[in-house]
Amino acid sequence: MTVGRRRFRWEPYAEFAKRAIAREATYRFDVFTELASVAIRIYLLRTVWVALYAHNAEPRGLPLHAIVTYSAVALLMGLILDRDQTRALYDRLHDGSIATDFMKPISVPLSFFADGTGEVLFHALLVVPALCLALLFVHIDVPPATVFAVFVVSFFLGYCVGFLLNFILNCTAFWTFENSAVQLIVTWLTDLLGGQLVPLVFFPAALAGIVDVLPFAAMFSTPLLIYVGIIGPDRYLEVMGFQLVWIVVLATIATLMWQAGVKRVVVQGG
Amino acid sequence: MVSGARVRRMAGLYGEYWRINVLTSLEYRANFLLWAAFTVVYHGSAVAALYIMLREFPSMNGWTFRDMAFLYGLWMVAHALHNTFFSNVDGIPERIHEGDFDRVLIRPVDALFQIIATPGQLFPDELILALLYFAFATAYSGVRVDAAFVLLVPLVVIGGALIDLGINLTIATLGFWFIKVDALRWLVLQLEQEFTRYPVAIYSRGVRLLLTFVVPFAFMNYFPAAYFLHKGDNLFSLPPAIGLLTPVIGIVLVLLAYAFWRAGLGRYQGVGH
Repeated sequence: MTVGRRRFRWEPYAEFAKRAIAREATYRFDVFTELASVAIRIYLLRTVWVALYAHNAEPRGLPLHAIVTYSAVALLMGLILDRDQTRALYDRLHDGSIATDFMKPISVPLSFFADGTGEVLFHALLVVPALCLALLFVHIDVPPATVFAVFVVSFFLGYCVGFLLNFILNCTAFWTFENSAVQLIVTWLTDLLGGQLVPLVFFPAALAGIVDVLPFAAMFSTPLLIYVGIIGPDRYLEVMGFQLVWIVVLATIATLMWQAGVKRVVVQGG
Repeated sequence: MVSGARVRRMAGLYGEYWRINVLTSLEYRANFLLWAAFTVVYHGSAVAALYIMLREFPSMNGWTFRDMAFLYGLWMVAHALHNTFFSNVDGIPERIHEGDFDRVLIRPVDALFQIIATPGQLFPDELILALLYFAFATAYSGVRVDAAFVLLVPLVVIGGALIDLGINLTIATLGFWFIKVDALRWLVLQLEQEFTRYPVAIYSRGVRLLLTFVVPFAFMNYFPAAYFLHKGDNLFSLPPAIGLLTPVIGIVLVLLAYAFWRAGLGRYQGVGH
């Protein structure tokens, strides 16, 4: 086979992304379920925090409207961050169809990235109706434009951390047959240790010291605390630097796993 | 009429079902351990979130973390009981959809019994964890453990499991008419697992009515827990002893769901495979 140096063409990847959007949009009923679930959880979070604030002293620096904003934004972020964008990798490794992917004139990891991006873009669109629904139940504070801009950057970094975590988990399919239990464990831990259920600032000091440095905090907690202003401008560089460190570490692990995994596929198929 | 011989035969089949279940789940040891770990994380993260919340805010409508640990324990045992013995009910719509359900109908044993007693890969790890947690939460909450408590708690958790079964069987039966009921089941499960964590009194009137009369999850743990812990905030100014109605409600709900199931089964004609 003559594999010359081909000029990179981005069109196939745009097509992968478009296909993914179309695929997600087919499951119209799931979209309604997802929105209904958002409404249920928004109602619940408002009720729970109102009940807690009504009977107790207000904690330092977090008035009721701030915690409601925090939880509502966390929920909306979850619409994007909770997607497992590289599940296709796991599925294709599982049924063996990955072998035909390697024969195609494309970069396989990039094709998964494009597919995942399409899926996530579609679910990012859902944030708009979800936000409208949320506003029926709660008031969401809007920070100054500069803070919001920093939040968006930090959210993007958090998204990259989540993407890499998922990619690594799906890469384990090169070695194991079954990893759904592990994936669910990670999902549940992310909800708790990422600060989606309860802000990490409420964790006991000893525990907070540990969870603050885990990648889960870099996904949810960091952008959220920037949004509500608990992390002020003086700490922006520090916390976002930390997110970047996680991205580099996880990207290194992901690359090594991918390279080792691909060799295995060749050996099995050869 | 169900004869003695028939009951003995069904009991024998059911015993065999559990033998196969436990053997299969122990066959895939790593997988079994991972799923057991997930069960711990699933319930552990819920209780941990409650603990952290109530560390900062010591009271929720007069309920402390100790009270809410007990509240969660009651639900956990009832729910685990349902998951352990009746989880196959959730798979009915998919079996109808795929045509696999027709196979059940040609065998000379009751269809619902067959569904419930189809071996999967089930180990009662959640139930064991739930019982251990409940023992801990009972001691931790300081609830008075007397003869009445020991007698009533098993009835309440069995009743709670039946409530779970009644609701899930109703949703599964809808599968005879509608192709996709997963979404509905998922939403109801979310309602159940998240709304039973807190005292029902914090919710608005409509949600209280929903959780009391429509999908009576409040009877799985809130009303009984309020009774055992002597909480005064009973809803709709009902007497506290209402918490002991759980077994009755469970039985009635299952009977209604079963009648609905029979009706659905009666008009079922296959999906044309």
